[in-house]
Amino acid sequence: MNTTANNAFETLGLEPRFDLDGKLLAERHRTLSGKLHPDRYSGRPASERRMALDRAIQVNEAYRQLRDPVRRAESLLTAMGVPVGEQKEPKASPSLLMEMMEVRESLDEARQQKDLDRVGALGEEMRGREEAIMRRLSAMFSEAGDDPDQLKAALPILGELRYVRRFFEELEAIEEALMDA
Amino acid sequence: MAYSDKVIEHYENPRNVGTLDKDDASVGTGLVGAPACGDVMRLQIKVNDEGVIEDAKFKTFGCGSAIASSSLATEWIKGKTIDEAETIKNTAIVEELNLPPVKIHCSVLAEDAIKSAIADFRAKREAKKELAGADEEQPATPPAE
Repeated sequence: MNTTANNAFETLGLEPRFDLDGKLLAERHRTLSGKLHPDRYSGRPASERRMALDRAIQVNEAYRQLRDPVRRAESLLTAMGVPVGEQKEPKASPSLLMEMMEVRESLDEARQQKDLDRVGALGEEMRGREEAIMRRLSAMFSEAGDDPDQLKAALPILGELRYVRRFFEELEAIEEALMDA
Repeated sequence: MAYSDKVIEHYENPRNVGTLDKDDASVGTGLVGAPACGDVMRLQIKVNDEGVIEDAKFKTFGCGSAIASSSLATEWIKGKTIDEAETIKNTAIVEELNLPPVKIHCSVLAEDAIKSAIADFRAKREAKKELAGADEEQPATPPAE
């Protein structure tokens, strides 16, 4: 994670928090991008144009990062001194792995049978799971404040969210492929 | 990301994809996951009386490198004793598949999966030994196939 990543909230002038108002985030991104648009810098010195461009790239990256709940949680944790990443986080519980293996297998079966309804139903089920995880994460972040020890407790839940998001990535790819077929 | 030819080869023709009966006493199951990307990998071994891995199967939901790593792992452990299989290092997988640094965690996952399958098999064998009688020194014989 680089420094730009750590300051995503700062870049967009937002208070660092997990519960982020999506509308406010989009609005900030739009306003800042508008101000930094190359058209506004035509006729300006090359160094200024380059700076505006760099800043626009930074704003876009910060927006992408904060829009994604997994990356948003990661930036918050990193900023508060809780290391995140493959080797730094606790391993997933066997029950979570078993659950994820099972849903991925069901999804794969539905793909092979080209059963778009079943794919949709699996997605619905997982949607509920995702919402519950988001609620738990929100509660944990607001209770933990900036206490790194309490924040560490959010890591396994963040792990769950990653597995769930991965499932949705797969599901969306399958839906696309089946609808094109 | 450019995959090496060997990764593509395993990805397109994965060896030993499938499932073994996890309730079979001679089968060990390893289930591992990569928390950073949400990939899941299951590796199973079937071990005979001599402690030799007769069969190995895997199922991986993940990127090409994760699939190739587990495919290669099953290929390598077949015919080996569990003690030999346990010494396989992820670095050997990295070398064989030419994995780039960002994909090293896929080989770690495969090594973990082998170890976890072996641990599961050993735990089952121990549990059976205890059932057969804790004082007996000779290992319990597995059920006839």
